[in-house]
Amino acid sequence: MVEVMGIPHILCRKNRILLGELVKTDFKLRYQGSVLGYLWAVLRPLLTFAILYIVFAKLLRMGNDIPHYPVYLLTGTVLWSFFTECTGQGIQAIVQRGDLLRKISFPKYIVVVSATATALINLAINLCVVVIFALINGVSLSWSWFVVPFLVLELYTLSLGISFLLGAINVKYRDVTSIWDVLIQALFYAIPIIYPLSMVLESSSFGLTAARIIMLNPIAQVIQDVRYNLITTETITAWEILPGSLQMVPILLVFLVLALAALFFRKRSKRFAEEV
Amino acid sequence: MSKSRKKVTKCSTNNIHCMDNVHTKSSDSTEFAIKASHLHKSFRLPTERAAGLKQAIFNWLKGVKGYTEQKVLDDVSFEIKKGEFVGIVGRNGSGKSTLLKILAQIYYPEQGSVEINGTLVPFIELGVGFNPELTGRENVYLNGALLGFSHKEMDAMYEEIVQFAELEPFMDAKLKNYSSGMQVRLAFSIAIRAKGDILILDEVLAVGDAAFQEKCNKYFSSLKGSKQTVILVTHSMDNVRQFCNRAILIEKGKIATEGNPETVAKAYEGLWD
Repeated sequence: MVEVMGIPHILCRKNRILLGELVKTDFKLRYQGSVLGYLWAVLRPLLTFAILYIVFAKLLRMGNDIPHYPVYLLTGTVLWSFFTECTGQGIQAIVQRGDLLRKISFPKYIVVVSATATALINLAINLCVVVIFALINGVSLSWSWFVVPFLVLELYTLSLGISFLLGAINVKYRDVTSIWDVLIQALFYAIPIIYPLSMVLESSSFGLTAARIIMLNPIAQVIQDVRYNLITTETITAWEILPGSLQMVPILLVFLVLALAALFFRKRSKRFAEEV
Repeated sequence: MSKSRKKVTKCSTNNIHCMDNVHTKSSDSTEFAIKASHLHKSFRLPTERAAGLKQAIFNWLKGVKGYTEQKVLDDVSFEIKKGEFVGIVGRNGSGKSTLLKILAQIYYPEQGSVEINGTLVPFIELGVGFNPELTGRENVYLNGALLGFSHKEMDAMYEEIVQFAELEPFMDAKLKNYSSGMQVRLAFSIAIRAKGDILILDEVLAVGDAAFQEKCNKYFSSLKGSKQTVILVTHSMDNVRQFCNRAILIEKGKIATEGNPETVAKAYEGLWD
């Protein structure tokens, strides 16, 4: 029986203990030495939101046509900061935990998963804040809220895939970190986080094509779907705008990235201890 | 050629991970703990570093590889029986640490295979995963988890560890405020609680003051007395003579001498003369 770096490992007791302890450590160390501590997990996205809200909603008067626009904007920024935090930590994980890899033998993916877990915890806290804001803003409770965890799972799967893939390359070519930093800036503007998708649709004659291309991106699909299910059904989703044959593309992309990443990571991980 | 080589590598990888399934394989009267056969390992040493993209493309076109293969282990085979205390000696750069890391499944051999019969606890270094920003207490639990102990199991051992390390008043201080001696004492106290069928120790004796050395020696004596399987990498021939049943001298990636500790220690000391 061959069980090399496979799924059975996650069920193994020793690996569960290790994963749990690494997550605890990462979470403890994250806000080490800061006065406000864990409060920063909530404060950071809120402050980012405040800036974006003042600039885009108040000064540039965007999103007037969308009900509950502030919460709509907050949802977008919270999910986006989860994605950036998750991939940022995940890509660095192998290099940062190099000392462990060089001295003991354990499945390497544990390190990546533990590094991204903190982002997942932060997201859970932030989504609570979003829900509170939504209720204050007059959004009514709905059964469709239960769809949100599955959408978060989709986004987390994508983040893990990217972390495994780029994290494995990052061991040998540290350029990846810098490239990803720039790429993520570009990605931010390619996703309707601060601007509503309706703005793209109305912009020019090929607005529909542009909006469709934007919505092929799984991150955009997830953010719009969460907004649709949590805040307002007046959100334009991928299901609405994409022609039938292309509707599954975002989800397929997620699985494609994860499959590629798993294969590549598994192949490369044997040499991590030597190269890191 | 390359195809057959690939096959061997794969086989070794499988062996390495089937730690618990090997029990039935041995039919000898004395069971083996570790069986290493025909291990090969080489590292790439960069020789000509491309200063830029232009140079890199140029090198590639000219077929300059930019590295040389350094053979670290060259066809190393040996067997360690259960209950043996084996010393591995050799000069710096002879390949003994690489060998140890292959046995501990941290590195993968290019060729050859390692069969391990039982659970293996490697101490390539004491205090793996120690984080200076965490308190002594938190580090104990983290280090324990890395050795495979759950929080509950560590709870049971905690008092004993702290007492042995003589660090009762300092457990809630951050590790960065410990002296290096205190850190080593803490790490060692955790380490000796780790029970495995096979222990791998890499120069853990090389640290600490005289009192600590004394503790280490007592620990090793107890290991020898309890018929624990131990692999010890060391530069101290005193340790080899005192504790080992058998020793292996590695020189330039090959086994130079193997057998009686006294003979091997003499051979090692003879390397300079």
